[in-house]
Amino acid sequence: MDPDFEMKKIRSINDEDIVSVLGHRNPGESYKSVHPPLDEMDFEEDMMKELVEPIPGAKEGGRTRYIQFADSMYNAPAHPYDRARTYMSRFRGVDTGTLSGRQVIEIRELDLEKISKELLETEFFDPAKTGLRGATVHGHSLRLDENGLMFDALQRYVYNEETGMVSYVKDQVGRPLDTPVEVGEPLDEEHLKEITTIYRSDNVGMREDKEAIEAVLTIHKARTDGGFGLGVFKNDLKAKLGDDK
Amino acid sequence: MEPIKAIDVRIFPHRRLKPGTTEKLLNELLDLEGVLKFLVNGESLPKVVGYGPARGTRVNHPDRKIITVKGKEVELLVSVGDIIVTIRHENLEEFVEKTKAILEETLNFGFDVRVGIFTRTKTTVSDKLKVAYGIEEDFDPNLIGLVDPKTNSKETVKLIGD
Repeated sequence: MDPDFEMKKIRSINDEDIVSVLGHRNPGESYKSVHPPLDEMDFEEDMMKELVEPIPGAKEGGRTRYIQFADSMYNAPAHPYDRARTYMSRFRGVDTGTLSGRQVIEIRELDLEKISKELLETEFFDPAKTGLRGATVHGHSLRLDENGLMFDALQRYVYNEETGMVSYVKDQVGRPLDTPVEVGEPLDEEHLKEITTIYRSDNVGMREDKEAIEAVLTIHKARTDGGFGLGVFKNDLKAKLGDDK
Repeated sequence: MEPIKAIDVRIFPHRRLKPGTTEKLLNELLDLEGVLKFLVNGESLPKVVGYGPARGTRVNHPDRKIITVKGKEVELLVSVGDIIVTIRHENLEEFVEKTKAILEETLNFGFDVRVGIFTRTKTTVSDKLKVAYGIEEDFDPNLIGLVDPKTNSKETVKLIGD
């Protein structure tokens, strides 16, 4: 989440491969635009427009496109809420949406590809427990398969049992790719356990889990206090009742 | 028909099973005594992409395969999550013991085996509808609890053995 923290790069994927997995344009095709470059447009004078430097994609007038990840509950390196906070603190000009099992990031196409590269090549991404999914995202809460892969109804990525590599055979939304895109081998499960951002423990009763109880109680207390406005509205209420003299 | 005493055993592996493993497991379990029926449960796998820009494209999921159980071909429609076996009550102890041994040998990850009632025991309105309105002409009462009310049992139920 700390934007100054440099994420470890653990694999490298061709730019063209990333473009084809995203599936928004064909590799080599030029970017489609929705408005002329900002330099050529006439605007009425606006302080804010002078203050804020537009991102490269906006300058060119490119389309807004997305990349969406589904993160398995079984120790995926990142999780929707952390992703949202990370995106906000690291990247400019993004719109991100958090759902229970998936996280979408929307930005101008030109910048999207740079961001995608960063997200896919660093330890933010695990080929087995993180899925690149535009549609039919279901699977984050299901058990893993025998090779440790997260469930995917469209099977966008496959595990090669001989080489131990995971490769994408379909793009984000399930259209078959001409050539499979290799995204490296799954991270070690022990290592994932250490770096994961999710809090979970299996087969432990709620009442036996001290840490969980503490968190729930803290939230409960804070919500109750906040809801009733204890301490906050007291003086206000007193004033209304004429009790403040 | 004379009523029999039957009970369910639920096999819950800690990972989703591949078709090969499922095939091996089912074949070995079928050899045990007292087995009446199997219910193979899991997340259903679509044949074609249902929505999104790729709608209509074939999925070709590697887990949606045809497996051979005791010489009969069975198409797996799901990614196998758990297997519920209905057995004769008198064979229960022996069955559970042997099942655990088989599972330990076949699987290299954890599993749970629980005994209880995991399938429906009474006929529902939809089951009756199937018969009364001729939706399925010869609905076998033995299939209660095996078939999803909305599906055609011919597609999802396979008869193996005698």
